[in-house]
Amino acid sequence: MSAPLLKIENLSAAVGGKKVLQGLSLSVNAGEVHAIMGPNGSGKSTLSYVLAGRPGYEITGGKIEFEGRDLTTLAPEERARAGLFLGFQYPVEIPGVNNVYLLKAAVNARRKAQGLQEVDAYEFLQMVRAKTKLMQMDESFLSRGVNEGFSGGEKKRNEILQMLVVEPRLAVLDETDSGLDIDALKVVARGVNSMRAADRGVLLITHYQRLLEHVVPDFVHVLTRGRIAKTGDKSLALELEQRGYDWVLEVA
Amino acid sequence: MSAPALPTNRDENWRYANLRPLAKARIDAVAAPETTGSRIELPAVLPGFERWVFVDGRFDAANSTRAPDSCAELLSFGAAGETLAAMLDTEIETAGVDFALARLNGARGDQVLVITPGDGAETRIELNFVSTTSAAAGTSYPRVQVHCGRGSHLHLVERHLGSGAADAAINAAFDVALRADAQLDHCRLQNCADAASCFDTLVAHVGERATYRLRTVTLGGLSSRSTIFVKLAGREARCELLAAAIANGTQTHDFFAEIEHAAPNSVTRELFRGIANERGKLGFNGKMIVRENALDADSDQSLKTLLTGSGAEAAARPQLEIYTDRVRAKHGATTGKLDEQMLFYLLSRGLDRAQAQALLQWAFIEDAVSQVQLAPLRQEIEQLIAVQLSEVSALDGLVSRS
Repeated sequence: MSAPLLKIENLSAAVGGKKVLQGLSLSVNAGEVHAIMGPNGSGKSTLSYVLAGRPGYEITGGKIEFEGRDLTTLAPEERARAGLFLGFQYPVEIPGVNNVYLLKAAVNARRKAQGLQEVDAYEFLQMVRAKTKLMQMDESFLSRGVNEGFSGGEKKRNEILQMLVVEPRLAVLDETDSGLDIDALKVVARGVNSMRAADRGVLLITHYQRLLEHVVPDFVHVLTRGRIAKTGDKSLALELEQRGYDWVLEVA
Repeated sequence: MSAPALPTNRDENWRYANLRPLAKARIDAVAAPETTGSRIELPAVLPGFERWVFVDGRFDAANSTRAPDSCAELLSFGAAGETLAAMLDTEIETAGVDFALARLNGARGDQVLVITPGDGAETRIELNFVSTTSAAAGTSYPRVQVHCGRGSHLHLVERHLGSGAADAAINAAFDVALRADAQLDHCRLQNCADAASCFDTLVAHVGERATYRLRTVTLGGLSSRSTIFVKLAGREARCELLAAAIANGTQTHDFFAEIEHAAPNSVTRELFRGIANERGKLGFNGKMIVRENALDADSDQSLKTLLTGSGAEAAARPQLEIYTDRVRAKHGATTGKLDEQMLFYLLSRGLDRAQAQALLQWAFIEDAVSQVQLAPLRQEIEQLIAVQLSEVSALDGLVSRS
């Protein structure tokens, strides 16, 4: 059997000297969708930033392997080129850099790392347009500055659009569902579902189970106090919705 | 004649300028070349513009393409001075150290280009000042007087470029006057050779309901300094001053801009975006004066600089001098480094660090450059900036299309 897409073993991490992750273990195989749920402050966003390699998030113990490679030795841009994608909880606005430019730069960076030629400009634009349509975004968004003046929901859709365009091996989506109305949530879910494939994995970090009605996970993990306290199938998400997180803490 | 006293870093409005190249340059005007008309590399003529070319401060007929009905003409200095004095409603103040370079220009230069669009006329003129001679052989003294008639609209493009010797010395002087309802769109690009020093003094007088838009992009030279005085003399006179500058290596770009609101409902919009890389230095001193009679004047200053080198320095200083209560004056100044969150966002998409940094610098300066409305000129400027910030390829696709 080939190595899991993502294998985290006994991971500890600190932010600003404060221990946030404390012995987290998790394994994601290709073809699987995992949901990570947990109360505020449990370490959900920290996990996503540690995976993406954000400066200031210090790994103090444990291992992270991505397709058998040690992820922690890679710079953030190398992780992206290896096929890891982070959908940000709060995507930044970058006025002056247009969306299409960023999409193309991202795709070409990955292709270059794979020893492939740059994308054909025309074909690329056709592909981006089709995916923009899938995300129910107006084409005018493409020529605007990255997230510039976008509403909260538009920013989240734009994250999913980027994911669809770069076609990562593993997508880590950090609370992509927060702040979305039900229609936008369905659009985002459709985007994520269209990415599901036998050779890809998704890690959905979420606070609520409503996204999981539309993107049905293979596994649901409860993250509390910096470690996975409980793992189950999609029914665990419903149970959490009804009973809250406290009972998991009591059991753990 | 004795040399006039030049400014030093001890003078209040000159602290950040690099004045050493000025002190080292030979003060005499560059001698007229024995042969003229040699081929000079210039950007394509802007569509609809008549072209004037000056080499080392002297008119170069062979490379110029004047319109048959041109409103620009070359005069000797004395004649031009009388023309300007007759055109203005008030006298332009030129005493004091801030005008020392302009006076030196007047004393040493001999040709003045006088541009006088008549009432209601719309005119397009590009001026190209090309320096080819080392500072050791003399200084170039370009001099231009612009007088826009009532309701006229002048599109004026001014380039300072280098060819040949890298260490040219330029001391330019502009006098600008706008009659009622006139509009002047003045785009200035300073892209002199690496070791050049480029100093200029601009004095503008803006009449009733007239608008002066000055967009200035400073990229070249070892040391540059722009000294700008704008008087909003008539009711509802408006000035939009937009400056962008990039200081790489050991470049110093310094600006002093004083805008005087001397009439009711006068308006200023001032925007500066500067990037200092490596050991580059930037200064922008934006002084806003609102006189007692300038009721309901409205001024807005936004001065931002970006430091990306450990030895880079920048000073963006808004100054306000207000003598009336009925005024709206907004000002902001920031000096900062590249935004870490934006940088991480781009890295997380796979862009390499150098490309991501160049991209963010591009975005920062584009805030100003995107306001150059003349599309072919904006593209020309964007290409130059792309080269200055990184390899062209990294920023390919960002340069705007017409």
